[in-house]
Amino acid sequence: MKTYKQPSTVGRFGEFGGMYVSETLMPLLLNLDKSYKKIQKDKKFKKELDDLFKNYVGRPSSLHYAKNLSKYINGPKVYFKRDELNHTGAHKINNCLGQILLAKKMGKTRIIAETGAGQHGVATATVCALFGLPCYIYMGSKDIERQKPNVFRMKLLGATIIPVESGSKSLKDAMNEALRDWIKNVRDTFYIIGSTAGPHPYPKMVRDFQSVIGKEAREQILKVEKKLPDYLIACVGGGSNAMGLFYPFLNDKKVKIIGVEAAGRGAKTEETAATMTSGTPGILHGSYSYVLQDNDGQIKEAHSISAGLDYPGVGPEHSYLKDIKRVKYFGITDKEALEAFQTCSKLEGIIPALEPSHALAYLMKAFKNKHKNKVVILNLCGRGDKDLFTAAKAIGFDADE
Amino acid sequence: MQMNNLDSLPKKKILSLFMTCGFPTLNNSKKIFNEMLSHKPDIIEFGLPFSDPMADGPIIQEANKLALRSKLSTQQSLDLIKYLSKSKNNTSFVIMCYLNTVRKFGLNKFIKNIKSIVDGIIIVDLPFEEEGAIKKSLSKNNIHLIKLISPMTDKKRSQKLLKNSKGFIYYISATGITGSNKLDYKEINKNVKSIKKMSSVPVLVGFGIKSKKDVIDISKKTNADGVIIGSALIQKYFDIKMDFNKYLKSLKKFIQEVKI
Repeated sequence: MKTYKQPSTVGRFGEFGGMYVSETLMPLLLNLDKSYKKIQKDKKFKKELDDLFKNYVGRPSSLHYAKNLSKYINGPKVYFKRDELNHTGAHKINNCLGQILLAKKMGKTRIIAETGAGQHGVATATVCALFGLPCYIYMGSKDIERQKPNVFRMKLLGATIIPVESGSKSLKDAMNEALRDWIKNVRDTFYIIGSTAGPHPYPKMVRDFQSVIGKEAREQILKVEKKLPDYLIACVGGGSNAMGLFYPFLNDKKVKIIGVEAAGRGAKTEETAATMTSGTPGILHGSYSYVLQDNDGQIKEAHSISAGLDYPGVGPEHSYLKDIKRVKYFGITDKEALEAFQTCSKLEGIIPALEPSHALAYLMKAFKNKHKNKVVILNLCGRGDKDLFTAAKAIGFDADE
Repeated sequence: MQMNNLDSLPKKKILSLFMTCGFPTLNNSKKIFNEMLSHKPDIIEFGLPFSDPMADGPIIQEANKLALRSKLSTQQSLDLIKYLSKSKNNTSFVIMCYLNTVRKFGLNKFIKNIKSIVDGIIIVDLPFEEEGAIKKSLSKNNIHLIKLISPMTDKKRSQKLLKNSKGFIYYISATGITGSNKLDYKEINKNVKSIKKMSSVPVLVGFGIKSKKDVIDISKKTNADGVIIGSALIQKYFDIKMDFNKYLKSLKKFIQEVKI
């Protein structure tokens, strides 16, 4: 395999990606791309970000050998890359710090973001508080309902939450509204996109900021196992935590890589978010990638118990990695994820978010009594605090006061 | 080759009316377009409804939603346009849509359906960097790909964009989404002047034009060759609480007013 070098200068991962936005946004994106290229070479920027990673986020996140879970699966040795221990409880903060430093450099004075599960919203609100910038978070009203703890967190952090009532009232629609806000306020506003989705340069930029996960994991596993892992597993909604873990391993042919999507009530049903299992290539939010759509190209509404995976699109790089067969993608249902959520809590004393619970469910299902002597790294990209009410309701536990 | 109506637009005070296909229902949509056509506007823009109209404001979003509620297909929209073209006369027909609609329908099939019927097409989310093959196929069939210029487009970029432009230039008057507020005539005039130095095709101002006064002001205070009115036409439907017959009447009155 040739050295992996994606995307192209115009933001293409193979045929995927690109910039499909109105002319109001084009000059901005080109400018953003230019500024991003510039700061990549800026040593001061890197130093500033590294310092924040270390002292504000608590990086590097640990690589935990999940002994009990490994024993339970009776298969490979499972390591958790514990990005759920980060400040704000998920991997999202890595990217937000990178982007807000860039926003500052570009002289932007107002920050907007979309959020599904609220993790990206919380992370954005957090960095805005840290840097003293006004913060506006677009969030679907359905997600506001199911992620109340995060809504309160964002408010405490000083952010303004703008409920989105259009469409399916979840992540997709929040992103539409954030893009509209950006079109309206192009001059002073920086849009911090939380996933490896959207128009170029976002998929690349978010991946780069998140790849600290994979870089650390690589060093850590080489130290403890004296070899590279046999498998990487991560959940994929838009795909930022997965790209963060996968990217530094893409050239290591022997490392098998698995992305786990949310199949909702089943990948073959209408209530799914398994974009790469059930979708076809199309254009959503400025990028060409796999999407859930009908025969006329109308985007379908996604469904998942996990608000962070409830998205009918996926990053263009994942679409590319699927097509070149470098990464394999599988779907896990709400029910399977919910079971894994409980199993992991009991066995490891770690309550995972519903998003990585999908990755855990796949691991427990596909690796059971198999792949002994192999080493797996699973990205535990978020903690489950935010999901307690959703999970309690689904399990049938009365969590109200 | 068949004539393209956009090549013989009047010199001044061009009026372009935008309406979403299939809004509020396919049947009533026909009546709306017939009403619009009876006023012989210079251009009618047919919006193809899309589930995620990223660059449109709440009014056109709502129109898209209503049109899609009855599962309107792309084929039905194109058939509607074809049906209306019988009474087209000198009015230019322009389609305004998002790229995914064309892509999923198939570019060649799409062109086959609109050839000799439609004079121009605006693909909102297709920047000129990505237009290559599409522009070529369209131009082979004498359909003009209409360019949008925003206040954010700088001179260097405008020059590239406007090279060989045909039909008209859609100048986005506010840095905003369709149907937004304020109009800054000074800025519009400055930018339109600069566009006109680079291109000889008419420049129409769109986004945020709501009333007869706006139309007159654009004509008097700026160098623009005409206006595009969209959201304001649809807004009336919601203003009169969706009574369709009343809507048709108010639409008639409004179009008469804005024809200056």
